[in-house]
Amino acid sequence: MPHSPAPAIQTTPVPGTLLDTRFHVETPEGIDLVMRPAGLLVRALAFAIDLAIRGLILGVGFFLLSLLGQLGMGLGAIMFFLVNWWYMVLFEVLNQGRSPGKQYMGLRVVHDDGTPIGWAASLTRNLLRFVDVLPFAYAFGILSCLYSGTFKRLGDLAAGSLVVYRDTALQRPPLVAAEPLRAPFPLSLNEQRALMGFSERQAELSAARRQELAAILAEPLQVPADQAEHQLNRIASGLRGPV
Amino acid sequence: MRLTDASVAIRPRSNWEAIDLGVLLARQHLRLLFCSWLVITVPVFVLLTAVLWQFPSLSIFLFWLLKPAFDRLPLHVLSQALFGNVPSVKQAVKAWPRLLKPQLVKSLTWRRLSLTRSFDLPVMQLEGLNGEARSKRLVVLGQRSTGAATWLTVLGVHVESALVLGLSALFYLLLPQQMKTDWDWQSLINPQAGQWLWLEHLSNAGYVLVLAVWEPIYVACGFTLYLNRRTTLESWDIELTFRRLRQRLTGIAYVLVLGFAALLLQMPNAAWAADKPEPVGSCPIPFDDPVGPSKDRLLNQSLTSKAAQASIDKILDQPPFENRETVTRWRFGEDSKKAEKKKDSSSDSALVDGLKKLIEAWQGLKWVAVVVEVVLWGAVIALVALLIWRYREWLTIFTGRLSLPKRQKREVPSMLFGLDVAPESLPEDVASAVERLWAEQPREALGLLYRALLSRLLHDYHLPLKGSHTEGEVQQLVLNLEHNDLSRFTQVLTRHWQNLAYGHQAPPDSLKRGLCEGWRRLFQTGAQA
Repeated sequence: MPHSPAPAIQTTPVPGTLLDTRFHVETPEGIDLVMRPAGLLVRALAFAIDLAIRGLILGVGFFLLSLLGQLGMGLGAIMFFLVNWWYMVLFEVLNQGRSPGKQYMGLRVVHDDGTPIGWAASLTRNLLRFVDVLPFAYAFGILSCLYSGTFKRLGDLAAGSLVVYRDTALQRPPLVAAEPLRAPFPLSLNEQRALMGFSERQAELSAARRQELAAILAEPLQVPADQAEHQLNRIASGLRGPV
Repeated sequence: MRLTDASVAIRPRSNWEAIDLGVLLARQHLRLLFCSWLVITVPVFVLLTAVLWQFPSLSIFLFWLLKPAFDRLPLHVLSQALFGNVPSVKQAVKAWPRLLKPQLVKSLTWRRLSLTRSFDLPVMQLEGLNGEARSKRLVVLGQRSTGAATWLTVLGVHVESALVLGLSALFYLLLPQQMKTDWDWQSLINPQAGQWLWLEHLSNAGYVLVLAVWEPIYVACGFTLYLNRRTTLESWDIELTFRRLRQRLTGIAYVLVLGFAALLLQMPNAAWAADKPEPVGSCPIPFDDPVGPSKDRLLNQSLTSKAAQASIDKILDQPPFENRETVTRWRFGEDSKKAEKKKDSSSDSALVDGLKKLIEAWQGLKWVAVVVEVVLWGAVIALVALLIWRYREWLTIFTGRLSLPKRQKREVPSMLFGLDVAPESLPEDVASAVERLWAEQPREALGLLYRALLSRLLHDYHLPLKGSHTEGEVQQLVLNLEHNDLSRFTQVLTRHWQNLAYGHQAPPDSLKRGLCEGWRRLFQTGAQA
């Protein structure tokens, strides 16, 4: 049976009326890009990791350079300057917006429109870090981050940059084998996704909960409640098409 | 609880994203949470301060200990608001005493130091579980969220301290200078001096203020973390979509059945429009509505034309049909505030001091340092030179524009009509020379006079005379000077000079005196005086 998805019907409410952590950017071609801005806590953790790494570099560096006398002092000053002012900038621009801390926490820095961060924006946001630190211990940065809808600190506001979660590669979910069935009614994209999700997330759900969920659709499917789960799996299999 | 009423987008998120959603949720109800929190905490704080005036640390410790009791109010507000039932400040505060009853002592004692406090709170307060059931539930829920909930509390402590420190620093920065110099830090530290109690209480009040901002967010983050865990555990998002799908499908069926029944009922009534009054025109346009397009129609069904129009207008008022934009710009105010001075980072000097000691211990590599210094300076100079060389054209253009525009030097001709008009070629006393020459060589005499006039016009009156000017044009230029005597003199002299030069008509002798007197009056009065 050839796989022919039903025409999509938009029944879900307009995105944006509900509170959500997603941030939509529409490209000139009319493509909706979805980004997920990262909030204060995960960013604070990433910063703490970076801070520790920088502390380690400086500590080890100064210890080694202290053996070199005056030359070591000069090189130490240069190293301090580089680590203090260029660590974030160099990593962000040359490593796809990821400093080691951000990389570990699954974050990256992009421009507001989702393009990769450039020199100007990266320098701005990292030089203006000193405004965020004011009056002490990042107080302004914290407040700005909490109050801004896309979790921007003041440096981000000035530079037009955004810290987002990186998209991870999708894993192929385990699927329930069932004979494909064409849905007896047209389904919107969202509803198709929910049906697939029901089939894909079987492992996370208890049997009773699966029954309960499937029973919701028993009446429109015109099957008894105990057969609804199997019926839904078959429809999901039909939506997926031949593997 | 009805999932379809939820005011947040329900879908499985990562734990960090769930915490971010909590921040957004708290931000949405910022005013409500802030006000209700202050209403319940400020009286408690004032009471504690008044009772324990001598022991500010104890009073703030007790306040800190009571935090779980206060936390129940934001959770109550948020759980109501999540399903669209936002309470007012008054309603929320009234509900608080009722929320306090269950398990208060446990919350304030051995559960006080729990690192997953805000994540556990909904299980107790919203699910109403206690004892064994609660622990089991927490084990199930905590499988994947305990780590994030712990980080939330740990980072929350740091955020709290950072905000308190920031507030204190801001307070200190805003103090007037003369007040700061009066402060004796010895007496500030000395515990015997009791006059600084108010300062400690002030910093306690700062902590209360910081908590009013942060604690509702902390509770909201724990709440959304809990919601997210239940969403993944029970597939709330799938349930939500299934319910909507069912509503749509069964709803359509009902509408079809009803519509068909209504059609059947209406069929026998053949003449729907027969009793409507005919419009005046004998031949009405078929599609023209007799009652006009703006009147209400379709009044006998659930979706009237008015409701439809309202819904159409609503949709047309949203993107992509209507894109509203608020533009906010900065502009200069009445008085520009001075920017706060940046703190000097003192770590540099400490570093230098530490390293200076090392130099004294190690002098062997000194020459290497000198070499490196020379190399570095050389690199800087080379870089500057390279930049200048690279942008030399741009620099020349730029500096060319920068320099002052040169004053155009006026070129004064030395010959006009073949006459030498340089002042050096003229005799000292022109009038006497003319008088002397007049008898024998009238042509030379008149020529000298005219030459002298042109020379004076050029150098004394700065008339822009050029070699291409004719006598008539010179006369016109003199007229423009609006100097009556001079123009009359020029007129007479020019006429006679032209007569003599081109017409060979000798000037009358009577003219000699008039012209010489005129010359003396015009040009030699200053010299004689």
